[in-house]
Amino acid sequence: MDPFLTSRVVTDILGGLTNGVTFGLVALSLVLIWRSTGVLNFAQGAMPMFATYVGFALLSYHFGYWACVAACVIAGLMLGGLTERILVRRLYGKPEINPIVVMVGFLIVLEAVAAAIWSSTPRSLPSPFSSIHWQLAGKPFALSPFTVYEIVTAVLVMALVAALFRFTKLGLQLRASALAPEVSRLLGVRVGRLLTLGWMLSTAVGVITAILVSTNFFSGLTPTVMDGIFAYGFIAAAIGGLESPIGAIVAGVLLGIVNQFVTDYVNQNAVIMVALAMLVVSLMVRPSGVFTKSTQRRV
Amino acid sequence: MKLLAARRVPSAIALALVVTIVVLATASSTRVGVALSVAIDLAIACAFIVSVPELKTRHPVVARALLTLLGLDVAIFLTFFFSSSTNFNLATGAAMSIVLLGLSFLTGASGQISLGNGAFMGVGAFTMAIWANHHATTPIVFSLLIAIASGALVGLLLGLPATRLRGPYLAGMTLAFAVAFTFILSSFSSWTGGDSGLQLPTAWIAPRWLDGFYHAGTSPLTTTTLYITDVAIVVAGVAFFFMANLFASRTGRSMRLIRDNDVAAELVGISLPRARVVAFIVSSAYAALGGALLTVIDNSVSPSTYSFALSVTILSLIVIGGIGTISGALIGGVVYAFSTSVISWITTHTGLNPQGNVASQLNGIIFGGLLILTMLFAPFGIAGAVRHFWHRMRSRPPG
Repeated sequence: MDPFLTSRVVTDILGGLTNGVTFGLVALSLVLIWRSTGVLNFAQGAMPMFATYVGFALLSYHFGYWACVAACVIAGLMLGGLTERILVRRLYGKPEINPIVVMVGFLIVLEAVAAAIWSSTPRSLPSPFSSIHWQLAGKPFALSPFTVYEIVTAVLVMALVAALFRFTKLGLQLRASALAPEVSRLLGVRVGRLLTLGWMLSTAVGVITAILVSTNFFSGLTPTVMDGIFAYGFIAAAIGGLESPIGAIVAGVLLGIVNQFVTDYVNQNAVIMVALAMLVVSLMVRPSGVFTKSTQRRV
Repeated sequence: MKLLAARRVPSAIALALVVTIVVLATASSTRVGVALSVAIDLAIACAFIVSVPELKTRHPVVARALLTLLGLDVAIFLTFFFSSSTNFNLATGAAMSIVLLGLSFLTGASGQISLGNGAFMGVGAFTMAIWANHHATTPIVFSLLIAIASGALVGLLLGLPATRLRGPYLAGMTLAFAVAFTFILSSFSSWTGGDSGLQLPTAWIAPRWLDGFYHAGTSPLTTTTLYITDVAIVVAGVAFFFMANLFASRTGRSMRLIRDNDVAAELVGISLPRARVVAFIVSSAYAALGGALLTVIDNSVSPSTYSFALSVTILSLIVIGGIGTISGALIGGVVYAFSTSVISWITTHTGLNPQGNVASQLNGIIFGGLLILTMLFAPFGIAGAVRHFWHRMRSRPPG
């Protein structure tokens, strides 16, 4: 077999891609909410984490992996919708800082409640695929059946979201109510309902991420499992531009690959510092993100 | 009447000066000084209250100085009667209130939000510990100044990109810094002591000239805690005095204009980037001072203290106290000082298992819940609610 496929560079790229798709998914879910409601959801890691705990509670009733995944997604849809209706709806039109503070509060409450109910010791989830890496001519290859499942799922979710926005009437309405809520309302779009739907959708995307991350053999599911992923997801969204879904995904994947190279060639501690430096530099060069067209901001 | 009022102001100032001198003089001899200082405090309070309206309008700086002095005297007097553990909590509360003051200024006055003040606090705390380990003989005031300078420097470095960012981007960037901070600490483990952190080489003890107060026959442990508590309270008092003046100054007023309407602020000639960097530097310098003080109080510093969770706690405290206000920082500090006791009281009185999951998470549930409720129903916290209530009471027509 070709030694190129097991070389250090290819291993890093593929390993980085595996992490990068999860960053990209978190970034995408942040962008979905930001574009439709102008709220940066700091609980975007904690809400999916909570829904994942709820869904995988079915394990003790002898349900299989896929039934639990479905339950997680349903729990996520409900949690996202309820959050928008009960908490976020009161914050539209308030100063920018109010929704930030409320969502940080929600993050604390969700993590504390999850730890109170399910304890903070990691809980290992069953994995549908083996995470033992394939061998190529006696050398370990960067991918395993599980990482392929991770990448394929992430790409599938991204494609579904893109298709929803581009090809369906619902997607058109979602885009319209984000862009011009008043006009959409006059044209008969139920803007309020669509905002709720946007939050549900975004939380569901987050839930898929949380499942992928916490099925990972090493971390398991803990109340704080999404904290680090959220930080990287935010960095990716900010680099790509909070307005651009494509930018968020691309930046997420690139960030994952860069992180892998830094881990391999420097050390683990340097990863977040390099990410922070990339964020600072990209924000100084293009404050509204690399992938967005600069626009005059609304006063 | 007007003549009388004009005469009251200098007399109040003179009285306050005399009091300070008398307090210092008695302090060096016996504990009787404590009793004497109370009597004189009452005198200042009376003088202050009679002359308040005139003093506030004519010499606001003097009025604030008198108020600070009065507050300090009362607080220090009380510490002599509290138990060691209460004093320790008070000292941590005083250190925290300094950090809150910085965030209150940044968010409340200039409208920027920071989720990284816990990390700025850590910068001060570690600077203090590292400095003390290399130069053990430096006087405490000088070490605190070095910690402040390091905090200001880091604030400048992060404040420069921050000038171009608005709300959510800035919040996210400071969040990333707060998350990165613990990793930065472990990367420099030869300086910061790695996971175990640093111990201070010696405990801070009271200088000889304060013997009358601190070495009068009680156990050394108690007097050390007492002395550190009083130092923390005095430092906090000085910090409050400076911040009150900054809020009222031209800088403070231009910051509030930026928060309310940045376009108008630019039109009247305020430089937005400069004002934002200044606010950022002030806030991180205050955070560093609070962190340095916390190192002195604990006599050690550990990297796990300065995690992202601390930044979130800081934000919750100032929102609950009253963001953008000075009294809010004081309220937040008091809440922090007694939160542990209150939560353990709740645990015992509701019959929760103290080692159980619920009891260990009660802190997060209560603080997070209060954070949400405050922002939804009283966006200016306790200080804002009290002020609102006070105005309603006063504007109600008589009868």
